[in-house]
Amino acid sequence: MDLNTASPFSQKSRLVCSMTLRTYIIRRLILIIPTFFLISVIIFTLIHLAPGDPVQAMMGGRPVSKEIMEQARRDLGMDQPIYVQYLMWLGKLLRLDLGQSYLTGKPIWKMVNELIPRTVELMLVAEFVSVAIAIVLGVIAAVKEYSLIDALCSVSAIIGYSAPDFWLAMMSLLVFALWMGWFPASGTQTVGLPFASPFHALLDHLRHLVLPTAILVSGWTAYLFRMVRSSMLEVLSQDYITTARAKGLKERVVIYKHALRNALLPVVTYEGNSIGFLLSGAVVIENIFAWQGLGQFMVLRAQMRDYPALMGLSVLVAIMVLLANLSADIAYAVVDPRIRYD
Amino acid sequence: MDSHLPAGPKDKSEVGKPSRATQLFIVWKKLRKSKLSVVGFGIVLFISMAALLAPIIAPYDPEWTGRARRPPSMEHVFGTDGRGRDMLSLVMYGARVSIFIGLATVAIELILGVAIGMIAGYFGGMIDEILMRITDVVLTLPTMMMLIVAISMFSVRGVHVIILVMGLLGWPFLARVVRSEFLSIRETTFVEAARSMGATSWRIIMRHILPNILSSVIVIATMDIPWYIFYEATLTFLGFGDPQSASWGVLLQLGYPKMQHSWWIITFPGLALLFTSLGFNLFGDGLRNALDVKVRE
Repeated sequence: MDLNTASPFSQKSRLVCSMTLRTYIIRRLILIIPTFFLISVIIFTLIHLAPGDPVQAMMGGRPVSKEIMEQARRDLGMDQPIYVQYLMWLGKLLRLDLGQSYLTGKPIWKMVNELIPRTVELMLVAEFVSVAIAIVLGVIAAVKEYSLIDALCSVSAIIGYSAPDFWLAMMSLLVFALWMGWFPASGTQTVGLPFASPFHALLDHLRHLVLPTAILVSGWTAYLFRMVRSSMLEVLSQDYITTARAKGLKERVVIYKHALRNALLPVVTYEGNSIGFLLSGAVVIENIFAWQGLGQFMVLRAQMRDYPALMGLSVLVAIMVLLANLSADIAYAVVDPRIRYD
Repeated sequence: MDSHLPAGPKDKSEVGKPSRATQLFIVWKKLRKSKLSVVGFGIVLFISMAALLAPIIAPYDPEWTGRARRPPSMEHVFGTDGRGRDMLSLVMYGARVSIFIGLATVAIELILGVAIGMIAGYFGGMIDEILMRITDVVLTLPTMMMLIVAISMFSVRGVHVIILVMGLLGWPFLARVVRSEFLSIRETTFVEAARSMGATSWRIIMRHILPNILSSVIVIATMDIPWYIFYEATLTFLGFGDPQSASWGVLLQLGYPKMQHSWWIITFPGLALLFTSLGFNLFGDGLRNALDVKVRE
C-alpha cells in the first residue's frame, strides 16, 4: 500500500475518533444529572443523619421555649414530612436557589460569591506549583531510581504525605510568621495600610499567600510525586522505550518525548481527585491563616449549626467538584484516544 | 468414581499449600527486604507499646498538675501544658485514644466496605450500579467537608459519634476495590473448578474469593488508620470533637492559643501524629509490595 491510499483512511479514522469523542462528552454531560441528584440525596441525608431534629441541634441544647422552636420549625419547613422537605429543597436547587442562612436570612449565594475566588485562588496556585514540582522531581527520581536524589525525594514525599496539614500549618505559622516575622500570620491583605501602588498591594497579597499555599502544596506534591514516579518507572520498563533507545535516540528524547508523555496519562486521572484533596486541605488551612474563603465560612456556619447554609454550601462545593471531575475526564479522553472505546 | 479418589477435594487442596504460619513467614521475609517498611513496622510497634503500656511507663498521671507551661527539661521531657500537666504522659495517653479511634473506624469501614463491595460484585446489575454510583459520589466529595457537615448536626459529639460518622463515610474506596477484585477472581479457573465440583456460592465466596481479596483489604485498612486519626484530630482542632477525650487533636486544640510562647505544647502531639502516620504508611507500603497488591490510594 502506498501513502496515497493510506492517507484518506487515516483521515476517516480521525473523523470517527472525533465523533466518538463528542458522544463521550455528551454521555458524560448527561451523566451529571443523576450524579447531581444522588449528591443532593447524600447531602440531605448527612444533615439529617444525626438523631433528633436539626432545629434542636441548631439551638445547641440551650433551653428554648416551645413557641420559638415551633416557629423555627415552620420557618424552615421542618413541620413537613421528610420527603416533602427534600423535594422542596431540591425544587429550590433546580431554580438555582441555594437557600438562605437561617441566622441572618441572607441568601447563601450572596454570602459566598466573594469567598469563592479566594478559595479558588489558593487551590489554583497550589495546584500549579504542585504539578510543576511533582513532574520535575518525579521524572528525575524515576530516571535515577535508587540514587541518592531518588531516596531523598521519596522519603520527603512520604513524610509530606504523612504530616497532618493542620499541624504543619500551625508550625509554619509559629516559626515563619510569629517568630521570624517573614510572612504575615493571617488574612489576605494587610488592613489599614495605604499602598503606594497596586503593585505594592499585589506584593502584599502574595506575601499573605505564601504560607497557606506552601502547606497545601506540601501534601498534594507528595501525593502527585509518588504517582508520577511510579507511573514513569512503569513506562520506562516498557518495550517501546527499549526500542526507542535501540534506535539510537538521545536519552533526552526517549525520556521527554516517549516516556513522559505516556507516564503523564494516568496522572491526568489523579488530577480529578485534586479538587477534593485541595478543598479538604483548604478548610483547615483557611481557618488557621484566617483566609476568608469557603472553608472558613463552612466551619463558622457549622459551629453555628446554620444548617440551611451548610446544605447550600455543600451543594455549591459538590458542583465545583463535579465540574472539575468532568473536565479532568474530558481532558483524559482528549489526550488518550483509547478511553473512548471503553 | 468418587470412591476411587484417595481423598476429598478439600484435602487435596491442602496438599502443598503452605500453612498459615509459613504464609506469614513468607510475607515477613518479603517485608524485611525493604528497610523502610521494617522502620514503619518498628514505629507502629513502638507507638502501640507506648499506648498499651502508658499506665505503667508514663512518668506522671495524666491528671497530675505542676507548674504550667514549663519548657522541656529532665523532669518533664516534653514540658508541661497550659494546666501544668506533663506533656509526655499526655501524649502517651493520647496515643491510646487516637489509635483506638483509628482502629475502631477501620473496623466499621471493613465491615461496610467488604459487605457492600461483595454485594455489588455478587448481585451485579441494578444493585451494583446503584451502589457503585453512591460510591463514586462519596469518593469525589471532599471528605473533610462532609465530616464537618455531618458531625456539626450532632448535639452530643462524643468520640463514638465521630468514629461512627467517619466509618459511615469511609467505606467507598474499600468497597470499590473489593468489588473489582471479586469480579476478576470470579472469572478465574480455580473458582470455575470449585464450581464444577459442586461447591455452593457461599463456600466459593468464603473459601475461595474472600481469602484472595484479603491482602488488598489488609493493605487498605493499614493505610486508612492514620487518615482516621488525622480526621479526628482535625475535626477536634476545628471544634467539632469531643473536648472530654484526651486525643492528640484535643492536645493540639488546647495548645494552639498558647503556642507563641510555648512551642512544645503543639510540637510533640503533632510529632506523635506525624510518626504514627509515617509508621502506618511505610508499613502499608511494605505490605503492599510483600502481598503483591496493586491498589493505589
